[in-house]
Amino acid sequence: MKILTRTIKEYFPAQNTVSAHCDGPCGVYDPASARIAAEAALSMTKKILALDPNDQNHATVNSLSRFISIKEEQAQLAKTELLVLWTDYFKPPHLEQYPDLHDTFWKAAKLCSAIKVEINLEKAEELMKVINKIHNIFWATKGREVPFYSAS
Amino acid sequence: MQVSNSKEILLWLIRLRQRYRVTGASMRPLLTDDDEVLVDLRAYRRQQPRSGDIVIAQHPTQVGLLIIKRVMGVHEEGLYHLQGDNSDPSQNSPSLVTAQRIKGRVTSLFTLAT
Repeated sequence: MKILTRTIKEYFPAQNTVSAHCDGPCGVYDPASARIAAEAALSMTKKILALDPNDQNHATVNSLSRFISIKEEQAQLAKTELLVLWTDYFKPPHLEQYPDLHDTFWKAAKLCSAIKVEINLEKAEELMKVINKIHNIFWATKGREVPFYSAS
Repeated sequence: MQVSNSKEILLWLIRLRQRYRVTGASMRPLLTDDDEVLVDLRAYRRQQPRSGDIVIAQHPTQVGLLIIKRVMGVHEEGLYHLQGDNSDPSQNSPSLVTAQRIKGRVTSLFTLAT
């Protein structure tokens, strides 16, 4: 059987490949992508809270619907970006240096979920603080000083 | 992992198995660069991936990139924790993917790299 499969491989090598590289080869990570999404979710939360829920005209209902949709989408995106950073960038030596790393990311992911399903300004602002912390840890692991900033 | 036997070869011939060539070192020592494996793309139509399964999956962020990893566990929100076998952290980093991104289960080692 080995001779058969070896012969097949030699004359008809598999055309499809699967990557067993350490991870995706781009190696480009930046907490800024999570920050932008989290900031958008925060902005949408503020806009939702600024609307009068008793105002039933079409324009308000339309705005409310759009704001909720964008808030949920951006909160989910923030969570995905954080999970990628957590699982693909950070390695065991980082955990030794920052023992609360797992807890920080876990808390951030939970906040994203809460912001997605609730209208909670406090949690949206808390997420920005946690992402600020992750930003500082991330750039410290790279030996660079990059100040945290927000777009708004 | 079992080496492809006559049943596996037959399943491949009738297209119930697909052949893939491995590139990279994250699955060492089980699989090395240029090994070929057979994959059952229907394996998870009726059941969920289980811890210990070796699977191929779409990379969580890179469109079109298929990765081969071992299922290490399932998180509470339906995310699968995939990781290579290589104990060297520089050669191996975990990925979190949804069930939809897991495309098939590796069923046998077709042939080793030559």
